[in-house]
Order: sequence, then C-alpha cells, then structure tokens
Amino acid sequence: MQTKPHNHACGSTDHGVSRRQMLGTLGGAVGFGSLLQPAFAKEIKKQEKRVCLIWLDGGMSQYESWHPLPHSKFSGPFRSIKTSIPGIHFSELMPHTAKIAHKISVIRTMETMDPNHSTGVPRIQRGDPIDRGVDYPYLGSAIAKLLGPADPGLPPYLWIKPGNGGFIHREAGFLGTQYGALALGNGRPPVHIHRPDSISAELDAARNALRQKANERFKAYRGASEIDAYETSYEMAQQLMARKDIFDDSQISAKDKERYGSHPLGRHILRARQLLEAGVRFVKVNSYHWDTHGDNFNMSQRLVPQVDQPFAALINDLEDRGMLEHTLVIVMSEFGRTPIINSRLGRDHWPDCWSIGLAGCGIKRGAIIGKTTKDGAFVDGEGYDIGHLFHTVFTLLGINSGKTHYRHQGQKLAIANDECEPIKEVML
Amino acid sequence: MRAFILICLLQTTLSGWTAEHLHQSIDRLIAAKSQGATAPSSDDAEFFRRVRLDLSGTIPTSTEVRTFLKNKSPEKRTKLIDQLLSKDTFAEHWTDRLTVMLLERQTLGKVTEEEWREYLAKALKGNPKWDVMAKEMITATGKGNARSAMKFLGAANHHEMTEGIARLFLGMNLKCAKCHDHPSVDDWQQAHYWGLFTYLNQTKQATNSKDKQSYFVEGLATKKMEFQSVFETEKKNTGPKLPGGKEIEIPIFEKGQEFEKPAADGLPAVPKFRPRELLARDLTSEDNPYFVRNSVNRFWFLMMGRGLVHPLDEVHRENPPSHPALLDLLAKEFVSHAFDIKWLLREIALSEIYQRSSRLPTKTKRVESASYRAAHPKALTPEQLLNAVLKATGNLEKVYAMKADPNAEIFDRKGYFTGTNLDLPPTLDEIRAVFVQTYGNPPGMAEVDFIPGLNKSLFLMNDKMIIHWLKPSDGNLIERLTKLSAAEAIAEELYLSVLARLPEEDEKTSTADYLQQNKNRREGALGDLTWALLNSAEFRLNH
Repeated sequence: MQTKPHNHACGSTDHGVSRRQMLGTLGGAVGFGSLLQPAFAKEIKKQEKRVCLIWLDGGMSQYESWHPLPHSKFSGPFRSIKTSIPGIHFSELMPHTAKIAHKISVIRTMETMDPNHSTGVPRIQRGDPIDRGVDYPYLGSAIAKLLGPADPGLPPYLWIKPGNGGFIHREAGFLGTQYGALALGNGRPPVHIHRPDSISAELDAARNALRQKANERFKAYRGASEIDAYETSYEMAQQLMARKDIFDDSQISAKDKERYGSHPLGRHILRARQLLEAGVRFVKVNSYHWDTHGDNFNMSQRLVPQVDQPFAALINDLEDRGMLEHTLVIVMSEFGRTPIINSRLGRDHWPDCWSIGLAGCGIKRGAIIGKTTKDGAFVDGEGYDIGHLFHTVFTLLGINSGKTHYRHQGQKLAIANDECEPIKEVML
Repeated sequence: MRAFILICLLQTTLSGWTAEHLHQSIDRLIAAKSQGATAPSSDDAEFFRRVRLDLSGTIPTSTEVRTFLKNKSPEKRTKLIDQLLSKDTFAEHWTDRLTVMLLERQTLGKVTEEEWREYLAKALKGNPKWDVMAKEMITATGKGNARSAMKFLGAANHHEMTEGIARLFLGMNLKCAKCHDHPSVDDWQQAHYWGLFTYLNQTKQATNSKDKQSYFVEGLATKKMEFQSVFETEKKNTGPKLPGGKEIEIPIFEKGQEFEKPAADGLPAVPKFRPRELLARDLTSEDNPYFVRNSVNRFWFLMMGRGLVHPLDEVHRENPPSHPALLDLLAKEFVSHAFDIKWLLREIALSEIYQRSSRLPTKTKRVESASYRAAHPKALTPEQLLNAVLKATGNLEKVYAMKADPNAEIFDRKGYFTGTNLDLPPTLDEIRAVFVQTYGNPPGMAEVDFIPGLNKSLFLMNDKMIIHWLKPSDGNLIERLTKLSAAEAIAEELYLSVLARLPEEDEKTSTADYLQQNKNRREGALGDLTWALLNSAEFRLNH
C-alpha cells in the first residue's frame, strides 16, 4: 500500500477552515486512520511519515565530528577515521556513526548567518522565514499543524529535554497554543497523565461514563462544536493515559539501554525511538552545553560520543524495523564552531560553514555533500541556509513547500522562506 | 398642558426616538438583523450562573441559587445586576479581566502586580470612567495617585508601546505596518505606525537619584520620524499623528528655551513639548472614533464572548462589524455617558440578548455566534475556573483563608507539574498560578477563544488538589452530601452546587442508580459524581 503525499495544507481557505474545525484540540484527533479497517489502519500508521530532530544546543564543532580535517591549520588533536563510505572520514569521536555513514547524508556546507544563540536558535528552528511581522512556529509545531498526529491517539509533537517538562506553547507561534510541544522533562511525561492511585481503572471508566453522559445531555440542546472539541480533549487525555507504556522504561531491554548509552542524551534518543514506534509524528530531543568557547577538545571528547552512539543505534533500529524510509532523522545545532582555536583552547560561534547529519524518509544513503575551502573554514561555492533545509524537510514529508501557505488573520504566509528551495543533492 | 404631553409621548413612540434605553436599542438592532428563530430567554438558573460569573467571577452557592429561584419579583434580575455591580467582588473580578486584557499575563516593569491590582480595584469600586483610566495608563509618569498605571507600559520598548497601544486601545494590529503598508488591510498604513511611534519615542525610564524609584520621563523631541517601506525606495517622514488625526507640529524652541522645568528632584529636565501627554489626551478623546469603537467593542466582548468586530484587533473596513448600527450607537451612548463602564455593562446585562438562553431554538442545528440568536458559550477564564471549582466543591473559604508560612521555601511549581514536587501549593496565590499556567495563554497572547487542550483536561481529571477537594472535610460539598440520605436530596444539592441548577428527573435517577451501585463506597461515589460534573462541558463553559 502506497502512502500518498500529504496535501492537508493546500492553503485553500475552505480546506483551512474545515481542518481548523477538526483540529479543535492539541493537534486534533483526526488523521484518516480512525476511518479505516484496523489492519489497513495499522499499515498506514506504520507508513505515516515521522521526524526525529536531535538538537545539540550551543553548537557542535564540525571539526570534531562530521568534517575532520586533520591536516588543516584549524584541526584539533583528534584523528580522523575511515567511514563505511570509501574516501570519507569522520572524526575519531564518531566511531559508531562512521560505521553507518552509508545509510545517511551529511551536508558540510551550511551557511546560516546568525552567530548568536538567543536569535540563532529561533531563527534556525523557525527556518528563517521572511519577516512578515509574525512569530513563526518552530519545526515541530509546523509539522503538527501541517500533518496532524500520525496516530490519532497521540499528540503530534513531543519534546524530550533535560530538566523540566510540561506543555510548551511558545514554539507554536502564531499557529496557536494547541500546536505547542508536550515536553517530557528528563524523558518523563507530565505528572497529570497519571491517574491518582485511589482511582482504579474501572472507577475511572465509570466516572468518565458519567461525564460523557453529562456532555451528551448538554449537547442535545446546544451548538455542538465547543462541546465536541471539549469531549475530544478528554478522549485524547484518556488515550494518552492508556498509552503510558510508551513512557515506561521497564519496556526497554537492558541491551538497548547499553547500546544507546547511559548518559541523558542516549536515554532520551532511546525514548524517542519508543515514541516514534508508538506513532508520535515529531520528536525533538534536546541536549545542552555544546557551547565550547573554552576547552573545546576535552568537552568534545566527552560530548560527541554521547550523540554518536545513540544516533547510530537509532538509525540501525529504525532500519531494522522498516521505519527508516518513513522517518526523517536530523542532527543539528544553531551553528557550528570557529575554525580558529581561541586562546582558551575553545572554538567560538561559526554560522559561515558547518555540518548537519540527516537520514531516512527520502534522504540519500551515503551522500556527503558540500564543497568547502581547503581548511573547511568557508563554503566553496553556494552554501545552504536553514530555509533550504526547511524546504527539504517539508518536501520529504510530502508537503509542497513552495505552494503551501498558512493563513493567519487574513494573511497568507509561506511555510518556508520564499527565497530558498529544497536541497536536491541530499534527496533520493 | 396634559394634551401637549400626550402628543409628545405619542411622538416618541411613533418615531422610535430615544426614550428607549440602550438595552432596548441593543435588542432592537440585533433583532433587525436576526434571520431565523431565536432561543428563548434563559431560565432563572442559567441567567443567575451567567451573570454571577460575568459580574463577580464565580458561580453561586446552592443556597444562593435556591433563594434566587424562589424569588418571585419581576424585578429580581435587574436588582441582582445592580447589586452585583456595586459589590467588591465586581471590582476584584474586573481587575482580573482588565489585567488579563491589558497586560496579557506579562509581569514587566517596576510596578508590582499588587500595586497595579490595587489601582484598578480602587477605580472599579467607584464609578470607573474608561477614558480616564486609559489616559492614566498612557500618560503615567510615576508621580501621584496614578503611579501604578505605569505598569501598562511596563518595560516595553517604543515599538512594543506603539503596537500595544494600537492594538488594545484602537483595535489596530499594526505589527505589519512597521515595515510597510498592511498587505491586505488598506486602512492600515505604515504612516499610522510611525505617527503613533513618534508620540512615544521620547519616553524613557529613569531612576530618580533621590528616591531610587523608577519614573517615565520624556526627552526632547526635535524632528520628525523618518521611515521607509521595505517595498519602496522613497523615504517619508511624520510627526506625532493619530490614525485619522492631524499631525502635530513639533515646536522649535530657541536654545535654552526647550524646557519647562530644569532637572530637579533627581529627575532630568522636563521639556515643554511632551508628545506622550498629547497622545493620552487626543487618543482617549471622544472625538477619536477608533478609541471609542474599540472600547465598546472590547467591553461587549467581555460580556458576550465575541466582539461586534471580531477578532478584536481587526477593526478596519475589510472586517466590518456584525451589527454596524449597534456599534455606532454603543459608541455614541458610551461617549454621552462619559465612558461610564458600569453603565455600559449594566445596559448590556439588561438586554434580552444577554439574557437569552444558550439552548438552540427548536429545530435549529447551529447558529452563527455573530447572530446572537442563542447565547454564545464562553470559556471560564483561569481565575473563574479556579473560583468555580472551589465554590462548587465547597472549599472556597478554606482556601481563601490559607496563610502563607513566612519560613516556607519557595514552592517548586515546575516540579509540581513534572512530579518531582509532591507537595500541594501552599497558598491561594500559588494555586492560582498553577491554574493560570494550565488554563491561561502564554504571556503576550490575548485570551479570547475557548481552546480545549489535552493538558487542560488531564489537569482537571487527575490533579492532586482536585482529588483533595473531593474528600469530605470542614463542611465542604462532599461532607454535606454524606450527611444527606435521600438520593433525591443528594442530587439536588450536587447539581445546585456544581452546575447551579436543579437536576432533571433523569439526572436524579442516574444519581440514585450510581449511589445504589456503589453503596459500599458512598464517599467515593459522591466524589465520582462531583468529578463527572466538574469535568463536564456545562461546568467548563459560561453558557
């Protein structure tokens, strides 16, 4: 069975309205899965396109990862190692990823303008659309809006991060709070998905039956849309409560835990796999403290392996499960790090030429693209800005990025920077 | 003489001249555009709950509902409205409403939340005039009684001030017009943005070197503001100018003559030309139709759940009002009643359309909310919801009386949501903050529509506080119910307390059945029944 490209967000007003009506609650409870026979639905669900964004906040050094140039004047102390693609080398800090290089693509010529964290993070995660006086959504919220949930019972956008979680609206921008991220602090779900111990499952069902009856009664005499939307939010709540297993560590084998690593990023990428398997549309995994202005090399030695190991494990697992062709995995930061090593043995912010890793969902296997100057400091020719990457992501997900628009207060807003286009070199 | 009076009376009736009260005109003008059947008048219980929520911020107790239902006076609705408008609970609730509308849950600037609330509450306890309040907020310098009104401008930069004032006081969302004329709204031009901006760009915060307090002061305005559209090469300029108003000439003084007062009392010199004061004067003038229409539109929204112009910050020709004649009349009458907020709210509350049922007219599947053929259900605000939950479960007094332990550590609210903090919020303020975090919009985003959400439902279903309030204690609802034996009496007290109405026959039966099925766990069963009603749409909405 073939999945057709999604065309939910065709930008026509009628379509926009009906879609908005259906999406009454957090990403809505739509998706055509619920309308199909169970067996087909399961197959469709498996083929629903998904995204995992691994965000290395602060900026990973390209020299200590995707683009080692041990003989250049900017190199650090680390060697480069052979990868599974003849002639291509990664840093020795990425031994696991080197073995799966033939399954992924790397773009070594990202050229993204903004050298500041505070503006760079939103610029990158919003895809740098042309300023039209509105707050654009971050990628996860954009996908939640454009594609809705992959599994109608699960929220479309989950965000795994160290520290606190909760419901984070701000990433939704003008799309409205319902497209925000449900954040899992330290990988844990919000406390309110747990039914109090004093309430058994039977009791919960009984009291929900009372609640539903009250709503039906109320609805019988009134306009239905608000009441339906409210009821839907309860259905989603109950579905999520019933799927608590997707947050349950005891479901994960000890061997998997070892393969992904015991550090937070490893555990969180493993949790991401669990959520993608369960049918979450978009999972963002955050890791912090990559801002290596001082002591870049010791820090990279500690940090890079923390993404190398679980990233490689994730790609292998997704492939084994037949999910890689439907799941896009992206590893990136807000920028790379300077070629020049500063006086504190650190590298500073460098948006001019840096690298990102991509895999799955129509990304070429083993395409290591982008020509840089000899020492890797600058792009040799045309670089790619984040707008190009957003077009690429949308296109891979079956969304026509040049023709699809959001509508906001009567304004037609392009979903990606109008002056950019998809990066064909990395696409199958 | 008598004949003359009679003729006059006849004339007024015949010509429909304004012996009519505003609430009657409202009904007449809505009816004139109403196509199709309309809902009947709300019954007493529906009206009572609605008007209590709107004018005092919470639902009534079961006793209050009983008393109101028993009252046979034909004047009882009018009397109730007058009573509610004169109570302190009106001032408290409208302090919430206006705070959320004007500050949009941002807490910026040097004026504390308490000072700001005191300022609003004081005005609302008296006879508040909207133009006066708006003027105080725009013009506040930090001196005198209206010092707390500074919070409105808070820590905003000049662009945020421009956008905030345009949106909240003129109904104009001018964000686009910062860089070019609005692409789809012809009425909104870049010159509007910069004309307003030029009133504000001399305003800055200064700390008085003596009392160490923060003040707003104005610098010296000497020249027009230059601006350029991103689509054009031509540069334009403007002095201070309101949309639809005249540009103000920036006076040129001889050197040394620019200031009215020299630097003194720890603050810089005061220029003779102070454009922000002029803005406050001219913007809030009864001759500024943008301000007047936006004002009545927003108060109408706060009562009716949608604006006559909706969205509220899209007041322009391409988004016409649903009832243009009504908007015109409201504006005219608001001005002739000197921007009297309570008078306007009273007239709206007295109208038949405000008092109309939310039940659809017979044989009607849906009505457009802009037709007002049935009452538009409004989401309870986070503050109303908290008060309603406390009132319904009979825990309001206890929670309001909670005293903060001065030695207690700061409550870890984030941990409360992630499960690392197992304590219950220790104060009313903390409980309110938990509700606002769950049900409010993020800072900077207006709260207008009902937006259900997964996290909101999960909270009301599973939160520990809610579970706690559903255990019998100190005369709360569950304790009161445990003392009743007849199922019918239980159903009555339950429905009156939570939904502020009497139960229907089938509801009495299902309550009795549930209690019968769970007779070995009576307290628990009473908790379930209450929980189900708290989580119902009927409770969540002000219908």
